Amino acid sequence: MRIVVGIKWVPNTQAVRFDPKTGTLIREGVPSIVNPHDYPAIELALRLRDKYGGEVIAVTMAPPSARQGLEHVLGMGVDKGVLLTDRAFAGADTLATSYVIAKAIEKIDKEIGHVDVAIFGHETIDSSTAHIGAQVASWLGWPYVYYARDAELVEDGKLKVRRQTERAIEEYVLNLPAVVATAIKALEPRPIRLLHKLRAKIEQPIIVWTNNELGLDKRCIGLKGSPTVVANITFMPEVPRKKIVYKPKDPKDAARWLLRQLFKDEAVAPFLKKALWG
Amino acid sequence: MPVKPDCEKLCPEWPCDDPFEFKGVWVVAEADENELNEASLQMLTPAKKIASKLGEKIVGILVGYNVKKWADELIKHGADEVIVVDDERLKTYYPRVYGQVIVDLAKKYKPSVILVSATMRGREMAPYIANTLRTGITADCTDFDVDEKTGDVLMIRPPFAAIMLAYIKTPFRKPQMGTARPNVFPVPPRDESRSGPVIEEKAEIIPPGMELAYYKPVKREEVLIEKAEIIVSVGKGIGGPDGVKLAEKLASLLGGVVAGSRKAVDAGWIPPERQVGQTGKSVKPVLYIAIGISGAAQHMIGVREAGRIVAINIDPDAPIFNQADYGIIGDYREIVPALIEELERLKKEGPKAIEELLKEEEEAAAS
Ligand SMILES: Cc1cc2nc3c(=O)[nH]c(=O)nc-3n(C[C@H](O)[C@H](O)[C@H](O)COP(=O)(O)OP(=O)(O)OC[C@H]3O[C@@H](n4cnc5c(N)ncnc54)[C@H](O)[C@@H]3O)c2cc1C
Repeated sequence: MRIVVGIKWVPNTQAVRFDPKTGTLIREGVPSIVNPHDYPAIELALRLRDKYGGEVIAVTMAPPSARQGLEHVLGMGVDKGVLLTDRAFAGADTLATSYVIAKAIEKIDKEIGHVDVAIFGHETIDSSTAHIGAQVASWLGWPYVYYARDAELVEDGKLKVRRQTERAIEEYVLNLPAVVATAIKALEPRPIRLLHKLRAKIEQPIIVWTNNELGLDKRCIGLKGSPTVVANITFMPEVPRKKIVYKPKDPKDAARWLLRQLFKDEAVAPFLKKALWG
Repeated sequence: MPVKPDCEKLCPEWPCDDPFEFKGVWVVAEADENELNEASLQMLTPAKKIASKLGEKIVGILVGYNVKKWADELIKHGADEVIVVDDERLKTYYPRVYGQVIVDLAKKYKPSVILVSATMRGREMAPYIANTLRTGITADCTDFDVDEKTGDVLMIRPPFAAIMLAYIKTPFRKPQMGTARPNVFPVPPRDESRSGPVIEEKAEIIPPGMELAYYKPVKREEVLIEKAEIIVSVGKGIGGPDGVKLAEKLASLLGGVVAGSRKAVDAGWIPPERQVGQTGKSVKPVLYIAIGISGAAQHMIGVREAGRIVAINIDPDAPIFNQADYGIIGDYREIVPALIEELERLKKEGPKAIEELLKEEEEAAAS
């Protein structure tokens, strides 16, 4: 089977800043990593390939530096990488991003070979929307399911996906092609192997597609193709708090001080009394 | 006033609609035969704020099988009317099938806003609805407002850094879609006097392209942290499972539950469904006791609605002291056992022990 796995190249720090005018991330000077929540997706793709043969193609829409991220996952055993990079893609919201990714999947299907499954991580650490899987499924018209923990092929070349929600453990059998999004930490990713890294170095299996290759209408990509607009960014208003800080003489003093505060405080005292004495 | 978009400038994949045709604030309810999800009722709170500013109706949307009975509940809690698609073929939930039913309703009725609670199901289905309508969607909003000049709905959410708030709008497309996590908003009070029309719609139901082959309900956690009145929350500073045991002991004395920071969850000490914060849950206990938690913005955003916050931290410069009501500087390994001991003593001695406790302070002040 041919499996496309979507990955995102995300800034790896909490110290990121925003462009106050556009509200977009300032990526300069911030080291990037492969989005940690994408690893279960990569692992699931690799396991399916190991079991049933075929190939795994990692796809990312990102600035050129994301080549490093693709090289990293090639080191895990991913077969090919597709880097979708163009200034015209910049500033995209999730609709415009999913559009480019869906169109790239169609192009892979046509030019490299039939795509059976597209797998995505649950969400990204930099925006945590969890949109892309469902949006790509919408563009492609494929069935989809989120929160996957495992998958296997069953009769008629369908894919059985196991997942857990807050209500139940469920198994869905999906007609292929389909989109699957994995749950956070669903699968332990395999380590990088030198062998794979060497192969990637020699074979350079990374394809770069700009919009020249994809040929998408400029009105559908990047900022222009994004229906959502960041109108403003402000600091979050601070919640008023008492901010009484105590340095106790000893633990017992600490405990008694705190209990005094709490029993004097009408907002909590009744609840404490109820908890202690019913 | 909304502006009519210049159709030439829009992506040809999008319909070029007249924004004036779109009216009504929809709340997509999550329901089955047995239950109407409370998180859906909560979305009626922001719906009300938006609808009153826009001067539009609140419309509840019910899709499923044997779900018509919940329409009244939606109306009593604030919906002006409800549109129901009740069909046996919708007995099993498939994201694309349910999503498509809502897409078709939205194409027919043209709401200006669609709100969905970001439950697991909501997070799975809402982006499909938005995308199939070729409109924008903003996830996990913490507030909503309306731009007075343009009438655009402002979807307010913290971006990457939780100290900031981004105001996101969808100026060229309708409907405008947003989600909010459960418990960010309260359920609006029930008003028995409310009534309103319930419109039954037939929908075309697409083949799901998938089949539910196995279903085993899991027992739901007894006390959800979202509902708890008292939460004892642990962070990286708790150091390991032994610390969690202490926290559990304290929590059980107080009739509370244990939760944790992301680092505590990542360390495997606390299950993920008990994570508080931006990527965890928003909680609103009367009392939140944070032990060994530094007070990162992404954590504190989950406790904005907490009544009182107690912080126990060894580092006098920990940022949490500046965001708590009562802070104690010290090692939790000493303080928490002392607190447990005092509470056990109080519990035994009965309510009169409080007087003694408070007198102690007067004496301390007098001396
Ligand atoms: C996009 C994004 C989303 C995030 N979402 C969340 C989220 O949902 N929830 C969340 O919690 N975090 C979230 N984070 C992570 C967040 O930024 C912090 O890293 C995290 O909250 C820190 O957890 P902590 O306070 O337990 O650990 P630390 O920051 O390591 O703090 C540990 C504290 O314990 C104290 N301590 C150590 N020993 C003791 C002792 N013996 N007694 C008392 N105190 C002691 C230390 O002084 C320190 O203050 C997110 C980050 C990002 C970038």
